[in-house]
Amino acid sequence: MSLEGKVALITGGGRGIGRAIALKLASQGSDIIVNFFRRRETAEQTAKEIRALGVKAEVIRANVGDAAKIDEMFNAIADKFGHLDILINNAASGVGRPVMDIDVQAWEWTMNINVRACLLCAQRAAKLMGGQGGKIVNLSSLGSFLVWPTYAVVGVSKAALEALTRYLAIELAPLKICVNAIAASFVETEALKFYFAQGDSKVNISITPAGRMVTPEDVANVVAFLCSEEAYMIRGQTIIVDGGFSLHGSSLQWKGKDQ
Amino acid sequence: MTIEEQVREIVARITRVDKSIITRESTFKDIKADSLDIVQALVAVEETFGIEIPDEEARKFRNFGDFVSYVESRVAQRERV
Repeated sequence: MSLEGKVALITGGGRGIGRAIALKLASQGSDIIVNFFRRRETAEQTAKEIRALGVKAEVIRANVGDAAKIDEMFNAIADKFGHLDILINNAASGVGRPVMDIDVQAWEWTMNINVRACLLCAQRAAKLMGGQGGKIVNLSSLGSFLVWPTYAVVGVSKAALEALTRYLAIELAPLKICVNAIAASFVETEALKFYFAQGDSKVNISITPAGRMVTPEDVANVVAFLCSEEAYMIRGQTIIVDGGFSLHGSSLQWKGKDQ
Repeated sequence: MTIEEQVREIVARITRVDKSIITRESTFKDIKADSLDIVQALVAVEETFGIEIPDEEARKFRNFGDFVSYVESRVAQRERV
């Protein structure tokens, strides 16, 4: 699997899962654009690690929840690289509240970042892929079909993202663009601490057949596969990367910290 | 309006509190701001003043006064450039 000469944009690529994806694609020879919003130092550090792998790295700040900022980001990419081969819609945000506390502000904030941004980025990316083909991978979550405490607005956004993935897969197919999604279970990142109390990890591990939590690298490996020509016939799918966690269904026993 | 007054108005609007209760000693916790309120306040202030406030810096703010001081120093820096 070689991505030599390719250009990949990873939204939210500075840290967590996005960082692991950026490093994985870079290790296969792709130049990388690291989009970030809140943590500049972290994104710059990731870019430094990418350059150490012998490829180019560009850092672009943009809140993908803001349509105008997405336009500015893609204008910068067009100026600097002239084309794009891979788009990883990884940036995500969310508000951990029970359904009765979700207000318009929380809904719009989450949906704009987790869904609308993926549509707008895919539209701009498809144009930059210029008929040469390309790959788009959207990062979803098991919360799109499982119900977790205070995860409602994020879960809804991820369900919408998976539906968007299917529509994009069909409508962008004539442009030779492969579109898929990945739904991971609890991945060990800083974001996880936001939703779950300490101690939940142990429960999660005990009901994961694979015997450990999913790592950012586990997700990055599947992204790399979906970005390879070997995955050409996989279209519009949401690949579950959870070590078998979701096979248990009703055995989720842990408590969310806000409950 | 001074920078402090402008920042106070933005924070009051986003956190839906009366601006008179926000003093330089107020913490985000005091005015019951959650993580969404905080990031939206940071973004609104960034756009108002044309500056960037990375989380690495925002995490150091102990209270509203620290937030205002940071904005003042960044605005002064921007004006020198």
